[in-house]
Amino acid sequence: MAKTLITLSGIEKSFDGVKVLSDFNLSIDENEFITLLGPSGCGKTTCLRIIGGFETPDAGTVAIDGRIVNDLEPNQRQINTCFQRYALFPHLDVFENVAFGLRIRKVEKAEIVRRVEETLRLVKLEGYGPRAVSTLSGGQQQRVAIARAIVNRPKVLLLDEPLGALDLKLRQEMQYELKEMQRTLGITFVYVTHDQEEALTMSDKIVVMNQGRILQVGTPEDVYNEPKNRFVANFIGESNIFEGVMREDYLVSFCGREFKCVDRGFAADEPVDVVIRPEDFDFVPPSKAKIVGVVDSLVFRGVHYEINVIVEGREYTIHTTKTRSIGDRVGLAVDPSLIHVMKRDVHA
Amino acid sequence: MRRLRRYAIPFVAWMAVFIVVPTLILLFLSFSDYSLYDGGPFAFTFARFEIFAAPLVLTAIGNSVALAGATTAACFLIGYPVALYLSHLPEKTGKILMSLLIVPLWSNMLLRIVAWEKVFTPDSFFTDLTGLSIDLLGSKTAILVGMVAMYLPFMVFPIYSVLEKLDRGLVEAARDLGADDAQVFLRVIFPLSAGGVLSGVIMTLLPALTSFVLPARLGLGRVPLIGNVIESKLMKEVLGSSGRSINEGALVSLSLMVLSIVLYILATRFDREGETLL
Ligand SMILES: Nc1ncnc2c1ncn2[C@@H]1O[C@H](COP(=O)(O)OP(=O)(O)OP(=O)(O)O)[C@@H](O)[C@H]1O
Ligand SMILES: [Mg+2]
Repeated sequence: MAKTLITLSGIEKSFDGVKVLSDFNLSIDENEFITLLGPSGCGKTTCLRIIGGFETPDAGTVAIDGRIVNDLEPNQRQINTCFQRYALFPHLDVFENVAFGLRIRKVEKAEIVRRVEETLRLVKLEGYGPRAVSTLSGGQQQRVAIARAIVNRPKVLLLDEPLGALDLKLRQEMQYELKEMQRTLGITFVYVTHDQEEALTMSDKIVVMNQGRILQVGTPEDVYNEPKNRFVANFIGESNIFEGVMREDYLVSFCGREFKCVDRGFAADEPVDVVIRPEDFDFVPPSKAKIVGVVDSLVFRGVHYEINVIVEGREYTIHTTKTRSIGDRVGLAVDPSLIHVMKRDVHA
Repeated sequence: MRRLRRYAIPFVAWMAVFIVVPTLILLFLSFSDYSLYDGGPFAFTFARFEIFAAPLVLTAIGNSVALAGATTAACFLIGYPVALYLSHLPEKTGKILMSLLIVPLWSNMLLRIVAWEKVFTPDSFFTDLTGLSIDLLGSKTAILVGMVAMYLPFMVFPIYSVLEKLDRGLVEAARDLGADDAQVFLRVIFPLSAGGVLSGVIMTLLPALTSFVLPARLGLGRVPLIGNVIESKLMKEVLGSSGRSINEGALVSLSLMVLSIVLYILATRFDREGETLL
């Protein structure tokens, strides 16, 4: 069992009377890659700033290594941050920006040169040392910000959308490098991103947030396959979400039909939300299908086709490698184990 | 753009008449032995430069440089913390306090000098008011205090305007990287405000170097300064004394001007972002 490194308990934070974080509880394990995922303005940056020591929570405690650090200044915490707005020092060149933390810690000169150069190589900015930061492109500045934080090899690294300004290819390479570094150097990563795919591929644990609350914490598989509510299902991946009623254990009714499922533990006739991922539908001959509809649109998406089927006025989205033509009558089937039933949630 | 040009004509004309022409006259007088009042033939000469060897002038230059330097240093040491403090206040409060520093500049300079005169005179009404009897009139200290009071706002303002614009995120980044208060100041805040400091230094140093009314009044003329040399050289001629003293006055005056321009150019060189007043 991994050791807990950071614990946020009962954190509350308001700005000008507006609640930004409420009842925020989270524990982060040592050497874990944890991602905060949520829509813009939901409080991700605020959460990082509280861990980093730049904001004081109105209530609750932040503990690092079992020690409450609410009163510790940012420079007294073994944490480094890659800021959402980079915050590079305009009066220093790229090399000195990256070397800043090492100079503060009075690392030996030759060692500084070695480590800064190694880190610049890692973020693919070899030879950019003497450049003024104002002459760099957005993506290059972002990589300097990453380098400036990781060169210190802190215990905890906070990264606020560190790859947002990079193109797809570079982003994937950097994702790999960051993940590699987290694995080999034993650094705990607290990562913020808008990009659900990035969250799914990189994280050990994902925290889905909305409006300052945690909706679900779990492994990427958990939050993708077993979303706790409509919001999580919608935010992570594409979903078909239906309002339904749980008839009894293992039997759910939606769209006017009853389906076998693998969920249990609901009250009889409890209203629920039902999720079916677009890739979980299969085409079957209409004569054998419970759900029959007409293909309304078809888009080629590279790996798969995205097909919209209209069934009794409702639209179903399906991802499949098989192709159909617009206007075709099709039958849809779904395996009971791929029907996911969720409680209705007040916060969703 | 073109049509706007004619609106600049009054100002350009003003500049020509009251700046370019006098400068040309200064140039003319500095390099000739032409006598302004007696007339006479024009002969080009470097002879006027001998004035820079006169003991009185050398003393005056030394005094001026020392006094201006001390004034600037004192203004910096007092002004920087003030600017730093003001920049940390909420924007509105800072601006209000800053204007409190500037408003006195709108009152007549002579009036402020006379006020200091009273402060430094024993048994003046300042003594009646406060019970303090200070006898400093005629001393270098009096001049220094008066000059610092006079020029402090010129130091504070450019530094404040740079610090006020400083991105708080940079301070946070430095703290994040482990810097304590002193390191944040030395490695981030101060270097980033250097442009403002330079503007402040120039804006204090230049007027301090050339001031003569204030030292004359508060120093009772006991401390000769460049300004006083120029004044007396010119006045002598006006009062009808012989010699070429007005030409010498013109040369000293011109030299100061050249020095100012050189300092100004150096300042703008270093302060390329133009974030400060210059
Ligand atoms: N210093 C502040 N003063 C006032 N309001 C603030 C402050 N910082 C954040 N907020 C507000 O708190 C809310 C959460 O902000 P936060 O920056 O944490 O969002 P975020 O999840 O990081 O968003 P994004 O994905 O757009 O970066 C926002 O509504 C924001 O306006
Ligand atoms: Mg943010």
